[in-house]
Amino acid sequence: MRRLLLTILISSLFVCGVTLSGNTSDPFSQRLPEGKQIIHVLNRLAFGPRPGDEDAVRRMGVAKWIHLQLHPEEIPENPALEAKLKPLDTLRLSTADLMDNYFAPPQNMMMPMQRPQERLEDLLSQEDAQKVRLGTAEEREEILKSLEPEKRRKVLAALPPNVLKYIPEEYRKEAEAAQRAENEERSAEFRRQNPQLRDLLNPDQMEVTRSGTKEQLAALFAYLDPEKRPLVAGLLPPDRAADFPELRRQGELKRNPQQVVMDDHHEAKVLRAIYSSRQLQEVLVDFWFNHFNVDESKNIPRVGNVMHLLTATYERDAIRPHVFGHFKDLLLATAQHPAMLYYLDNWDSMAPGSFNVGPFAPDRRTVNGVPNSILPGPLARIAHGLNENYGREVMELHTLGVKGGYTQDDVIAVARCFTGWTVRDPQHPEFVFASFMHDTGEKTVLGHKIPAGGGEQDGLQVIDILAHHPSTARFISRELAQRFVADDPPPALVDRMAQTFTKTDGDLRAVMEVMFTSPEFMSEGAYEAKVKSPFEMVVSAVRAVGGETTNAYALVSKISELGEPLYDKLEPNGYPNTGDAWLSATGLMGRMNFSAALAYGMIPGVLPDSSRLDRKDPATIARDLLGHDASPETQAAIAKGLESPGESEAASDPVSPDGIASGHKGPAFITTLLLGSPDFQRR
Amino acid sequence: MSTRRIFLRDSAIVLAGIGAVPSWLARAATLADQNGGDQRRKVLVAIFMRGAADGLNIVVPFSERRYHELRPTLRIAAPTRKVAASDSGRDNRFSNEAIDLDGTFALHGALQPLKPLWDKGQLAIVEATGSPDSSRSHFDAQDFMESGTTSKNLGDGWLNRALPPATDGTSPLRAVTLGNQVAHTLRGEREVIAIGNAQQFNLGNSEATSILESMYNSSNDPLWGRTGRNAFEVMKIMDSINRDSYSPQDGEYNQGGQLGRSLQQLARLIKANVGVEAAFAEIDGWDHHGNEGPQLSERLRQFSSALSAFSQDMGDRMEDIVIITMSEFGRTVEENGDAGTDHGHGSLMMVLGGPVKGGKVYGKWPGLEKEQLFEGRDLAVTTDYRDVLGELVREHMGQKDLDSVFPGFKAGDPLGLLRV
Repeated sequence: MRRLLLTILISSLFVCGVTLSGNTSDPFSQRLPEGKQIIHVLNRLAFGPRPGDEDAVRRMGVAKWIHLQLHPEEIPENPALEAKLKPLDTLRLSTADLMDNYFAPPQNMMMPMQRPQERLEDLLSQEDAQKVRLGTAEEREEILKSLEPEKRRKVLAALPPNVLKYIPEEYRKEAEAAQRAENEERSAEFRRQNPQLRDLLNPDQMEVTRSGTKEQLAALFAYLDPEKRPLVAGLLPPDRAADFPELRRQGELKRNPQQVVMDDHHEAKVLRAIYSSRQLQEVLVDFWFNHFNVDESKNIPRVGNVMHLLTATYERDAIRPHVFGHFKDLLLATAQHPAMLYYLDNWDSMAPGSFNVGPFAPDRRTVNGVPNSILPGPLARIAHGLNENYGREVMELHTLGVKGGYTQDDVIAVARCFTGWTVRDPQHPEFVFASFMHDTGEKTVLGHKIPAGGGEQDGLQVIDILAHHPSTARFISRELAQRFVADDPPPALVDRMAQTFTKTDGDLRAVMEVMFTSPEFMSEGAYEAKVKSPFEMVVSAVRAVGGETTNAYALVSKISELGEPLYDKLEPNGYPNTGDAWLSATGLMGRMNFSAALAYGMIPGVLPDSSRLDRKDPATIARDLLGHDASPETQAAIAKGLESPGESEAASDPVSPDGIASGHKGPAFITTLLLGSPDFQRR
Repeated sequence: MSTRRIFLRDSAIVLAGIGAVPSWLARAATLADQNGGDQRRKVLVAIFMRGAADGLNIVVPFSERRYHELRPTLRIAAPTRKVAASDSGRDNRFSNEAIDLDGTFALHGALQPLKPLWDKGQLAIVEATGSPDSSRSHFDAQDFMESGTTSKNLGDGWLNRALPPATDGTSPLRAVTLGNQVAHTLRGEREVIAIGNAQQFNLGNSEATSILESMYNSSNDPLWGRTGRNAFEVMKIMDSINRDSYSPQDGEYNQGGQLGRSLQQLARLIKANVGVEAAFAEIDGWDHHGNEGPQLSERLRQFSSALSAFSQDMGDRMEDIVIITMSEFGRTVEENGDAGTDHGHGSLMMVLGGPVKGGKVYGKWPGLEKEQLFEGRDLAVTTDYRDVLGELVREHMGQKDLDSVFPGFKAGDPLGLLRV
């Protein structure tokens, strides 16, 4: 069977070759009919059509619309979007302001109010503590016997659970009682500091927070003391809190201000994707962030959860300004942003061997003979040599591609060039070049000699070499074509894009222009060839149903449930760009669940407009939501489902626990089927 | 229909109220009648540690002088005393002291929950394993290892090719990825399914569900049609399995993080006799370029809790199960400038399960002297990872045609990992 697949592959390659000389059986050389072009560009350069979008593109003409999308500065931004972004005020703060007002350094994040648990070592001699922990049953019993009752109670209370299993019955009972008392005391103290819902509300009010309607919940908030309101809102589960963005925000500001920055950033991404008139720009910000991925939940040793804040400024300051610019500027901006410096460890990478603090140094407290204590903040610690992480990934993932022709020696040379590219200190995460960390020796990068003594210039030179390398032109062109044309894009197109990349010094707009005006892009081969990612599925569905999204908080958690939480891909390769990754039973069920929740208006903050679909037949609704006819199989399944009464018991089902009414086969019902259909999972 | 219940003999499946009986279930029930009701199958579970786990600090070669020299801050001290096999009253979970295995190698202290398996002979270590490929790229190396090759990315995975062709009684759950997407290891021609968040397998609206089911059953979409058909079959099975699924190991599974939840779900599937033959789970976060010590401990704590919980939960069903762990490559022998390690070469694999001849470190230890290292810096590979996988595929899964599973690979001497 695999041989068969291979044969097919080879013959399709053969066909590709033939088409260049005029054969039209290659789908990438079959021109898409006019009627399909509009929905195609809306699915590729935008996050799918909103009601009315197709007419607008038709009036303007496809070519003009593409041109405008490539020049977003000529498109007035949607005022509705600007109004929705306005309350998310952390979007506009500088990194410094965010650090000053929203950052909790690691030591404050522990719970200082919590009484530290007494440790065995505080109660017993080192040797005895060790025996109790790791010794034999006899050793343990002997020590316990020898203790005064009061002391013994304390020791028993401090025993780890694994030891507890192996002490005599009488002591175990005593220990359990002591631990219970200890725990109660501790949790009471914790609760005083961190009230839970049931500390703030009476049972009836609790019930409202669990199962009351939105109106009942609003009435409850109105009744509560003003200072209690944000506390309560901050404690509600996401789907309950989503209807009260203001209160939730105040609650979070009190409990965990960094969360506010992340929430603003997540919501803004979804709102822009839904509402921006500059759709291509938003598609590209998503694409390039993923290409230069960083993870907001990476914890930086001794610095804390600073990525919670920097991920937002990274996208805003390093990615967004350059998506229509030159690749080199994008590469440099990411290389110097503290988010990337932290994420791929370059902030910590120092000259190897040249220091008196290497792993083999007798005394790690000096650097090149200088006492380490003069080093600023985070550097006065254990760092003492090279870290290859950024040096490798900048070539493998950001520029050349894994087959781009670099070696392990190049990885080390590049890492050495970037030594000293770091951040000022944990409180001030801004790029600095720290010369005392820099490897001043000579390096050879991809055949280019970089002379000794170059300083900050070394890294800049590497950026230049990488940005202008032919492998980069090809790799970046292929990545773009994979996002916009097909999972396995036609090599001839990639070649032409790469040539333009090289000719124009990496002008991304020019490269995209070649792609969007190519016959391969506007071909049957590209049409509906891509599977929607979870983010694309959610956003395109919200756009398709129309209506109003007042806040995107709940949508953000729906995207997470589909398996790709925003800004939270641990590995530096980002989320996959090809469809096979999203084909899973869980993922598909999740998409169907989401479709139903959206169609029936069950997602807080999202009010779908189904009135325009009232009394329309399924075929019309399908054209409205998909932008084209549903496949014959999908149409047939819906028609059959609607004509048969189905399971008569189900038809009279009351509202299910999820609140989705069954039995009424109106527009919401048909919308559920269409958004959940295989047709809607493609773009 | 909504009140109709179908019981499959010997299985925990009870179906209620969600449309038609899964067709596989009907077939399997017939088949079970023919076979006298035996639903137990052999299962091979592959666990991928993504990010290149630091083998040298997981199973510590504490008797190597060079190990201690090259890792001045990261090294794990030699165990202070030999631990008798029966002394289970001692628990290192809260200390970092290494646990002596054989006087040469020791387990990282956070792997204490695995020690009882070693003592029972259900855990074997294969040292200095990996791929001969010298790519130090995570993503290439994972693709190659999951393909079952050294430097070629095949579209399908070795574990899919190891499965026999489907028959009438073959379950849609025969090959399961625990996670949101089908892992490369399991991708391919044979039916395979990904199960992540089990909560999703519950569509609120039963009428919409049955229309969507028929829509996907008739779909011509080459990608979504198949996924959808499987999804609806599995939804019915999952619904019944997860309805009553308490296990005394649930607490320990929780300590196992994502891997714990994956193995917990797998255990439910296996116990329900739904025909699982191969499974894949993963645990990420092993790419410790900096501050490795505490991060590795935390990962290993989850890893060992998950495996220990699974093994206890399965009880004597472990006789049918072999688990194999792998990572795309190892890490540099010498620690880097950040109290971490960079991308290396050789690593190790763990083999767990009832059929395993455990309590032994397999493989040829290449040594850590400069001239013994791969490219002068990394642990050498003396046992090709396909020798280990191949033996399990042949002996446990009964797939004798190894060339179709690992194309072009010539197997070395058998390691003798399993009791046969």
